[in-house]
Amino acid sequence: MHPPSSPHRYWNRRQFLNHLGGGFGSAALAGLVARQSAAGAPATAPALPAFAPKVRRVIQLFMNGGASPMDTFDYKPELTRRHGELLGPKDKPEGQTGVSGAVMKSPFAFKQYGQSGRWVSSVFPHQAKWVDEMAFLMAMTSKTNVHGPASYMMNTGFLLPGFPCFGAWVSYALGSLSDNLPDFIVLPDARGLPYNQKANFSAGFLPARHQGTLIQAASPRPVPDLFPPDKFAFAGGGADRQARAVLQKMNRQHLTEHPGDSRLEARIASAELAAKMQLSAPEAFDLATESESTRTAYGVGQAVTDDFGRRCLLARRLIERGTRFVQVWSGPQGAVNNWDNHGNIEAELSPIAASVDQPIAALLGDLKQRGLLEDTLVIWTTEFGRTPFAQGSLGRDHNGGSFVTWLAGAGIKPGIAYGESDEFGGKAMHGITQCYDLHATLLHLMGIDHERLTVRTAGVDRRLTDVHGHVIREILA
Amino acid sequence: MKHALPFTLLTLALAAPGGAEEFFTDRIAPLLKQRCFECHSHESGKMKGGLTLDSKPGWAEGGEHGPAILPGAPENSLLVKMVRWTDADHQMPPKEKLPDEEIALLEEWIKRGAPDPRAALVKPPPDADWWSLRPLAAPPVPGAPDPSLTHPIDRFIRARLAGAALSPAPAADARTLIRRVTLDLTGLPPTPAETEAFAKESAASPLGQDGSSPAWLAVVDRLLASPRYGERWARHWLDTIHFADTHGFEHDVHRPNAWRFRDYVIGAFNQDTPWPRFIQEQLAADTLFPADTRLTAALGFLGAGPFDASAEGTAPAAYEYVDRDDLVTQTMGAFVSTTANCARCHAHKFDPITQDDYFSLQAVFAGVGKGNVAYDEDPATTVQRRQWTTVLEASDTIGPLQPEVLLTAENETLVTQWEAAGGGREIWQTLSPDLYTPAINSVLTRLADGSVLSSGPRPDTETYTLTVSSPPREVSALRIDLLTDDSLPLKGPGRLDNGNLHLSGFEAWIFRAGGAAPEKVGFTRALSDFDQAGYAAPTLIDGDPKTSWAIHPRVGEPHHAILKPAAPLTFAEGDRLVIALQQLQGGQHLLGRFRLSATAAPAETLIAVPAAAQAALLTAREQRLPEDRLALAAAVLQERAREELSRLPAQVLVYAASAANQAARGAILKAPQPRTIHILKRGDLDKPGAEAGPGALSAVAALNARFSPADPQNEGQRRAGLAGWIAHRDNPLTWRSAVNRVWHYHFGRGLCDTPSDFGRMGGVPSHPELLDWLAVWFRDEAKGSLKALHRLIVTSATWQQSSALPPPPASAAQPVTTLAPHRGGPDPQGIDPDNRLLWRMNRTRLDADSYRDAVMAASGRLNLTMGGPGIAHYNASPGPQATPVLDYAGFDWEAPAAPRRSIYRVVYRGIADPFMEVLDFPDMGLLSPTRGFSASALQSLTLFNNPFLLGQSTHLAARVAGTAPAPAEPIRQMFQLVLLRYPGAGELEEFTALAQSAGLPAVARVLFNTNEFLFID
Repeated sequence: MHPPSSPHRYWNRRQFLNHLGGGFGSAALAGLVARQSAAGAPATAPALPAFAPKVRRVIQLFMNGGASPMDTFDYKPELTRRHGELLGPKDKPEGQTGVSGAVMKSPFAFKQYGQSGRWVSSVFPHQAKWVDEMAFLMAMTSKTNVHGPASYMMNTGFLLPGFPCFGAWVSYALGSLSDNLPDFIVLPDARGLPYNQKANFSAGFLPARHQGTLIQAASPRPVPDLFPPDKFAFAGGGADRQARAVLQKMNRQHLTEHPGDSRLEARIASAELAAKMQLSAPEAFDLATESESTRTAYGVGQAVTDDFGRRCLLARRLIERGTRFVQVWSGPQGAVNNWDNHGNIEAELSPIAASVDQPIAALLGDLKQRGLLEDTLVIWTTEFGRTPFAQGSLGRDHNGGSFVTWLAGAGIKPGIAYGESDEFGGKAMHGITQCYDLHATLLHLMGIDHERLTVRTAGVDRRLTDVHGHVIREILA
Repeated sequence: MKHALPFTLLTLALAAPGGAEEFFTDRIAPLLKQRCFECHSHESGKMKGGLTLDSKPGWAEGGEHGPAILPGAPENSLLVKMVRWTDADHQMPPKEKLPDEEIALLEEWIKRGAPDPRAALVKPPPDADWWSLRPLAAPPVPGAPDPSLTHPIDRFIRARLAGAALSPAPAADARTLIRRVTLDLTGLPPTPAETEAFAKESAASPLGQDGSSPAWLAVVDRLLASPRYGERWARHWLDTIHFADTHGFEHDVHRPNAWRFRDYVIGAFNQDTPWPRFIQEQLAADTLFPADTRLTAALGFLGAGPFDASAEGTAPAAYEYVDRDDLVTQTMGAFVSTTANCARCHAHKFDPITQDDYFSLQAVFAGVGKGNVAYDEDPATTVQRRQWTTVLEASDTIGPLQPEVLLTAENETLVTQWEAAGGGREIWQTLSPDLYTPAINSVLTRLADGSVLSSGPRPDTETYTLTVSSPPREVSALRIDLLTDDSLPLKGPGRLDNGNLHLSGFEAWIFRAGGAAPEKVGFTRALSDFDQAGYAAPTLIDGDPKTSWAIHPRVGEPHHAILKPAAPLTFAEGDRLVIALQQLQGGQHLLGRFRLSATAAPAETLIAVPAAAQAALLTAREQRLPEDRLALAAAVLQERAREELSRLPAQVLVYAASAANQAARGAILKAPQPRTIHILKRGDLDKPGAEAGPGALSAVAALNARFSPADPQNEGQRRAGLAGWIAHRDNPLTWRSAVNRVWHYHFGRGLCDTPSDFGRMGGVPSHPELLDWLAVWFRDEAKGSLKALHRLIVTSATWQQSSALPPPPASAAQPVTTLAPHRGGPDPQGIDPDNRLLWRMNRTRLDADSYRDAVMAASGRLNLTMGGPGIAHYNASPGPQATPVLDYAGFDWEAPAAPRRSIYRVVYRGIADPFMEVLDFPDMGLLSPTRGFSASALQSLTLFNNPFLLGQSTHLAARVAGTAPAPAEPIRQMFQLVLLRYPGAGELEEFTALAQSAGLPAVARVLFNTNEFLFID
């Protein structure tokens, strides 16, 4: 057993539920009961919240492809001074797609912002106004320079497929805040899924109900099976209500005849939840009820920002209505329209950065104005950084050596930066953090000790943080 | 509590006799223990950064950053830097800085040379005496008070129940039993007719105490003989080894040939391939059973898992390492239920598996690459292919001819037969062209013998077009002779200075008299008396101007080629034949002198007889010189071999892994032998240690854990070595693993409930004696027959028990979740709530595949076509890169192949089918020895609204719509088809109301959503 060495008091599940107040409905309880009795389901009960959580919900903004640190938040004047010098490795490092070219300065101008004086490049004029609310991790590293494994690391803590992602762990450990919406929702770029496709949102060896629910925000049917298709005349509307009533009655009768099986009860409870979700989800996904000024603030209606803006606005609506974790992706996999800017940083990074910048600033403003930032955490991150050396003459290659993540909102010390990369921004030097530390910190903020949230599978008590992870106390409020 | 230690006391302590050691023991050791051991000791199990501080060697060797302490030099000791909190990266303990006096103590200790009496802590390896590793020995079958209880499984189970004062549940009713056994063995529900027939037979002759009756045995044997059995049990195995039809990772592309392994597995289960043989085939069919090439498909086992195409290309070292790790994990989990991969970074913490063992397993797979492997589906084809390939190689005119192959009695007979059929005696009629024009600027002259000579300028490329005005009536083949001439360099027959030529194409057209468009002649074969290496005659008809027939170095002598059309050509009066001789490869490789001719002889006897063989043909058989005989045999047999090979069925591909799959991985081409595997310190690629040879687990005492293949560089022998180790009769893990896995799928839970982990982190068997008895029985009596094992299990009274709880007292009006004790007996729920002792059957839920298949079986749409390429349940469109975009929601469920069984669908590793996912179809990035259970709102919505389900509801309603009176009879029929029973009066009333307002399909929709349908009692 882990000794209660920390000053935090340990909570039991009941206290935790009470603390959260209403809304913690039968979904989580039904799920929990089902989990305990299912043959073959993980045997370990989820870790109870270890201490009072500061964060109840999380929005993660994931910049797919490897957002360049030295062209966004990690100002490196040395790159300008030594521009053109051949200082890179002679052989192609593992995971880079080409050999390193000469040192390349950022094509963008940097300025200092806010009380904290953070340097931000010209690609992020809107986020720059929020640096005093953010805590930056300036020296994150990855174990790999390849998109697939790197995306797995940032999502699941492992280089290989088959492990539960952060959202699934949170859903497993904490359950729902609401009866009406899934715990964990993923909003992919309208242009496509990220690297690893849906496997980034997998529940791995956890029960399938904890996996990310994929919502195509731009689709007329964002939740595919929320309602029956029109072509089936016998389904929908009043027919649905009647059919559900007959079904529930029959299943209750069956339960009476087959007592003592919580799985049967769980299915009955789930059908009730489904009916509630049918009522609440369309409202949640309907951005038309937002004011014109809010929509404009998020960039909805402007070609550049429309898709990401809509999804940021939707993320706010979802967490407001009880979804615990929303992941908003910027950029699909592939060679274009994302953060994987091999060919030309100036030409490729500018438009993708512009597509997220105003919506992110609007999201922070909106959350703050509504008081949601009090218990909501926003994270901006990516799977790895990029080389300080040119690829070709204008692009940058994959680099797990150093990249930037920022956090803002509940439980976070605002306006600070932790860690530092080397003079070129290619290698983390001080205050080095890995996905394990980020995940440990996020779980900590949600009231969970990352070393205690374990599930035994294939001979190991698996954790989100493997055998690593330190809570980054320097950035905690 | 913190001890402030006055400096004087410290001084005193050091000054005391024997002070150094006592100082350590009294002051330093407790400090280290209190402040550091939580993260840096064996007792806590944590060695963060690779550092331990619980022994002298621990800090002397240090961790990832080198030695922690340099005795005598506190200023240079990492530990001191750390405890002083020098900067943000040097802060230990991380949460709170030590009090100054403790830091001073540590500094003083180090300054004094850091005396430390603690020897290296050699952690004893975990005990090899563990249930799964003990040698197998069949325990005696327990006696039973009731002598009619004869089934050994029941004897073991009842003995334990009796010990716990529990009694078994009664047998389930006939309807429940036939549904249970049919779903269990075939993944499909029984038909209403099968259900009724069995119920009737059971009423007449019920199941005996021994768990069988003639009717029951007939059902079981029928199901085991059904091809549906293999389809069901293949799915279990594919889960266990994370088989999917796509790569996963960044470039998640379809493997169009992976399905052949899926079909192999289905076939292996249906044929009841003995378990050891099943192991051997999947690991090393190519090495162990080379004659049966069909088994190449079994190697798909090695290619079952994910493949990171991006990492393979850009980060090959790391890729290969983790890819091999995945294969080791898969193999050892699936066959021997061992988590060997836990020993990658350090000796296994809980099981007796060393890093040596682990890397020996990596060495087994050090020579395989993932990709498509070609093979013949019919082994007879392989025999033919080998035979004719040998002949072809022996008759290759480029190398020395091989008389030992060509002049065997059998092959000489073929030559004799050819001669007897008129071979070599055909008449060639010269086609003297009336028109002969160069495309560029060569000068062509027709000579008296009908041949054509080229002279004048030598353009880079050229085409000669020749028109023959009155070709013979019938032509079975055309021929071009390349002739020597004194005017040509080295006498030709080519015009290049070395006498060579490149004829890239031979095209012919027929211009019919009065006809409009010319007919192009389609040639099927082109053969020659001699080919320059890389410039063979078939290039004449391949349509590629960059490939040619050439004759270097055999210049200065004539050569010829024969071209056979698909069917004989016929010419009428006035028809013209136009021939184009294309010399388009460039470099002035032009024809010098040539002659065209034609024959009407049977095309199959025509070969291009080289000059040496021509001599033989002109001599009586018994007088031929040996070299002429050989030349003739080579000419005849070469053509025969080509013919035969072209007639063989094409090879097929399976996505697998083997050394033969060289093209899939560039690195293999460069180094066709296995890579060298090093034992990596802490599993780190940058810290290679000693070399590891192929081997397995040393904890299995009965077997040699290190293999000594006859050829250490033959990677197939390494795999064969592992197959032998696993499939060995004395490997206790293998047999326990197999029977436990089968038990798991029959009871919803294994005797050991972690089917792929028999280590200390896994479950402990509920009935170890039964598990061992079954393992020995399966090995020795059943000879590894799974069907025998199924039969044994489902004929046990244990398996046939009801899954119901004992009924509560009649009077108690209790909430359904509260369980009343068994009247008059102990409450089994109180004694064994988990039913580990099997006092009843476990209720299970239909897995995703069975649910989908059962719905289609009821709707009448199920298409039982077996095998073949996977059926996509999505519409695919191109994605931004290699991975396509899949649309599951828009798929047309009325497509003809859509109602095939679920085992035949394409399983997309990274883009899972949402319908299957909500029913807990596992993530195929993950080895899944068990299926999970979920109940969620999304599952409810999917089963209620998904177009598949609604479409099948429509079909089910249509299936029964004609029955009268409506709607009662159609509703009754639907109940029968879905639930295998008729509705009660109340049910009929409610469903009638539903049918009247929403239609019959609404009834089907509800039935498909009931727990009664979803669960197996």
